[in-house]
Amino acid sequence: MTPFQRYLVTKTAWYLLAFVLAVAANFYLPRLIPGNPVDALVARMAAGGGAEGEALRRIYQLYISEFGLDRPLWEQFLVYLGNLARGDLGTSFSVFPAKVSDLIWRALPWTIALQLPAILLGWLIGNALGALAAYRGGWFDRGAFVTSLFVSSIPYYCLAIMLLYGLAVALPLFPAGGGYSYGRLPTFTWSFVLDALRHYWLPFLSLVLIFIGGQAVGMRSMAIYELNADYVNYARGLGIPDRRIVTYIFRNAMLPQVTGLALSIGSLVGGALITEIVFGYPGIGTLLFSAIRQNDYPLIQGVTLLIVIGILLANYLVDIAYGFIDPRIRAVQAGER
Amino acid sequence: MDVAAAPRPRTAKRWHPLVITISILRLGGIGINTRFWVSIGLLGAIVVFGLLGPTLLGKRDPLRIVGGLYDPPSSQVWLGTDNFGRDVFTQLMYGTRTSLTIGLIAGAVATLIGVAVGTLAGFRGGTIEEALMGITNVVITIPSIVILILLSIAIASRSIVVMGVIIGITSWPWTARAVRAQTASLRAREHLDLARLSGAGTVSLILVDIIPYMLSYIFMAFVLQFASGILQEAALSLLGLGPTNTISLGIMLHWSLLWEAVRTGAWWAFFPPTVFLTIIAFALLLLQSSLDELFNPRLRRK
Amino acid sequence: MQPLLNAQRICAAYRLENGDEVQAVDHVSLSVFPGEVLGVVGESGCGKSTLAAVLSLTARPPLMVKAGTLTLAGQQVTLAGKQPYPVTWRGRLVALLPQGAMNSLNPTLRVRDFAFDVLRAHDRQVDRRVALERARERLQQLSLPPRVLDAYPHQLSGGMKQRVVAVLSTLLNPRLLIADEPTSALDVSSQRALVNLLLELLEREIIASIIFISHDLPLLSNVADRIAVMYAGEIVELATTREIIRAPQHPYTRALLQATLVPERTIRGRRIEGIPGQPPDLRKRPPGCRFSPRCPHATDRCRRERPPLETIDGRAVACWWVFERERRVPSVEESVP
Repeated sequence: MTPFQRYLVTKTAWYLLAFVLAVAANFYLPRLIPGNPVDALVARMAAGGGAEGEALRRIYQLYISEFGLDRPLWEQFLVYLGNLARGDLGTSFSVFPAKVSDLIWRALPWTIALQLPAILLGWLIGNALGALAAYRGGWFDRGAFVTSLFVSSIPYYCLAIMLLYGLAVALPLFPAGGGYSYGRLPTFTWSFVLDALRHYWLPFLSLVLIFIGGQAVGMRSMAIYELNADYVNYARGLGIPDRRIVTYIFRNAMLPQVTGLALSIGSLVGGALITEIVFGYPGIGTLLFSAIRQNDYPLIQGVTLLIVIGILLANYLVDIAYGFIDPRIRAVQAGER
Repeated sequence: MDVAAAPRPRTAKRWHPLVITISILRLGGIGINTRFWVSIGLLGAIVVFGLLGPTLLGKRDPLRIVGGLYDPPSSQVWLGTDNFGRDVFTQLMYGTRTSLTIGLIAGAVATLIGVAVGTLAGFRGGTIEEALMGITNVVITIPSIVILILLSIAIASRSIVVMGVIIGITSWPWTARAVRAQTASLRAREHLDLARLSGAGTVSLILVDIIPYMLSYIFMAFVLQFASGILQEAALSLLGLGPTNTISLGIMLHWSLLWEAVRTGAWWAFFPPTVFLTIIAFALLLLQSSLDELFNPRLRRK
Repeated sequence: MQPLLNAQRICAAYRLENGDEVQAVDHVSLSVFPGEVLGVVGESGCGKSTLAAVLSLTARPPLMVKAGTLTLAGQQVTLAGKQPYPVTWRGRLVALLPQGAMNSLNPTLRVRDFAFDVLRAHDRQVDRRVALERARERLQQLSLPPRVLDAYPHQLSGGMKQRVVAVLSTLLNPRLLIADEPTSALDVSSQRALVNLLLELLEREIIASIIFISHDLPLLSNVADRIAVMYAGEIVELATTREIIRAPQHPYTRALLQATLVPERTIRGRRIEGIPGQPPDLRKRPPGCRFSPRCPHATDRCRRERPPLETIDGRAVACWWVFERERRVPSVEESVP
């Protein structure tokens, strides 16, 4: 086995272990709730007067067989795994009889549409700003650095709350929340897209500002580290112009930043749950929020599983990519980061 | 609910943006030590407010209803009332105290586990190190927010201590990693060889000959875990999974979001906890960046 | 003969973070003539590398040149002040062969791309193919494999990397090459290969002169025509290699010679002696001769007054003890009429 293959196999094994552990936690922890969650649910349904007699019994049976609650725990786990493999995340408690996977698929595009552009744009602007600050130094560096540090340190939901109040309530420039105007139905028409865009800017801004700040801080310290490297001094000593040396520094400082980008995209689903809650944006965060309030365990489990898969996959791909790039770079990265 | 009737703020004291900008710029120009002390000062001020506030101003029940829905600030209720008509200023004091307590417990638990795993792995090396660091890396890759959400829904009644402990047991791996690296560099020192020759056991070697040499480092790790524990608690509470039957900064935000304090302009209900969390987070990052430069002089600018 | 380089009274200092300055090079004057190798020897921390940075025009903060004039190929500049010389002097008139070439090359740039950057820095119109052809010819001329052009730095061995750096440094036929401890990280055979390469560059008149900085006196005695001995930021003796080796004058030069192993019959079997004491802390230098605390011949005068660098019989030395012995004492009585 070549060293690279060994690296590949070990990494894969560790990530598989992490995945199995996460799935097990996802399965087991909600079952620690005292009593049978289905009993509580059905009792609530009966009290609400929504379903009665035969219908209630059918719902009860559906949940019991779906969870395999009448069987031992290990068998329940196997049932759970089997369902997962078929992409079946179960039936929602709160929006009966909607499938959890359908609810998630409906919310996911909103989350991706909100986060992905924010991550990409924030990454581009942040890196340019950080590199410039490191290179220019002086007051520009000081101003950009401290502002970035401050902005990136604000918990993202705090910034969201302040922006919502500042730009939609105190100074009503933007609509105060939601993904689209109240009473509209999501369709692919111009007027709907324009309406959705109007609701888009404020949550987008709250995310992009944080990303810019965080990336700028990281890029600046990477670039300063590179600025002090021997090769910079040597290139200067041979009369290579500064603007050319800057491209060296930028490229070398970039590598860890690319990793950061991949990881941000991976943690996209769980990265800004509360932003959506603050703005009432119809994505995964809002879905999770209402699921938690209504004790909709299958839905909560579905969302947490999605978050785990995204993050594990991104981490795994980044690790494998490093193995491909170069064993030396891999060693350097492992040692320094 | 007649939220439209809630009065809009007119008398909010505004800081001139220029004043804020200048003071922030001044922060950037100062050296490591000043940045370090500013962050300690900010954290210290919040700690003093949360710990001494209730003692100095007399004990009050933060959950007692004293007014109506979102009463604006007045001489009786300095920061108005929240959606249940509870005094926001009292809530802020007790909420800060709760958040600090949870952060403290989380920081202590995380540091304890992290130091134990890190020193053992770094000191013993070999298979033990590989196994321990493998576990650490697995735990790091599983996002802590997911485990926190699952644990929180599994535990119906969450006391402050329970919250602190579950946050602590999901955030120790970072400390373990850092401590392992430190221990590994200490392992080669001569005084350890001497101690080893004298026949001391692993535990006593770690307690006597390793931990004292990185106490300052461990303390820094603790401060970081402490502050990030506060933020984790806030995120969980915002999701509605905070400690039960008490108040915290995150719970204050949770209610003000659920009861539309932002959209109705009841700034006193959401602004104070937002500012407090922002200050805590900023102090944390300031501390982290000054420590980074302290431990890694190559990041320093001349 | 007109010297290629003439440096007069160069002073350079490092600024510490607390605002203090450490004088690392103190009133150093020296000349280099066309066709010669000038060796500079001294313990670590004596200011050799600082001198190399100043002379190769690569000094940058926190190192600051406080005073001194430099005459380079007939053009005179005052060194203190902001950018007193055109950037294109670097690499074309004077080039640095840096200490520890391991990190001197940008890790993410192929050698050929760096070679092209070096050539283009001094001739914006240069065609990439022409430039690479020139680099290839130069490598062949010096019997190095041209395939190194296609390599990334980490793919080259340490010795090969240092030789490639030497070729890159001299790609523009600089008049003066300043080699700062070029061999210290290499094994013996790579050292010899590098020294031979440098001498060949000189022989083929690709470069006119070399300043060879090293702590390794035996190595220098094989390479250099003249040797300057530095101690605590000053030159204490400067003479031809033969004179330095056969008849060292300054007590420090003698101690340095005694501390090194010279495989000659006359001194075989002699005990190698170190120099007692430590080199002075540059922040707290003794008031008189800087070597006086470690010098076996030191008198009260040595501890009180600093000896000037005087030329006696064509060789320069700064030592009261030598002056007394030569009965050519430039004393206070003599200079006052």
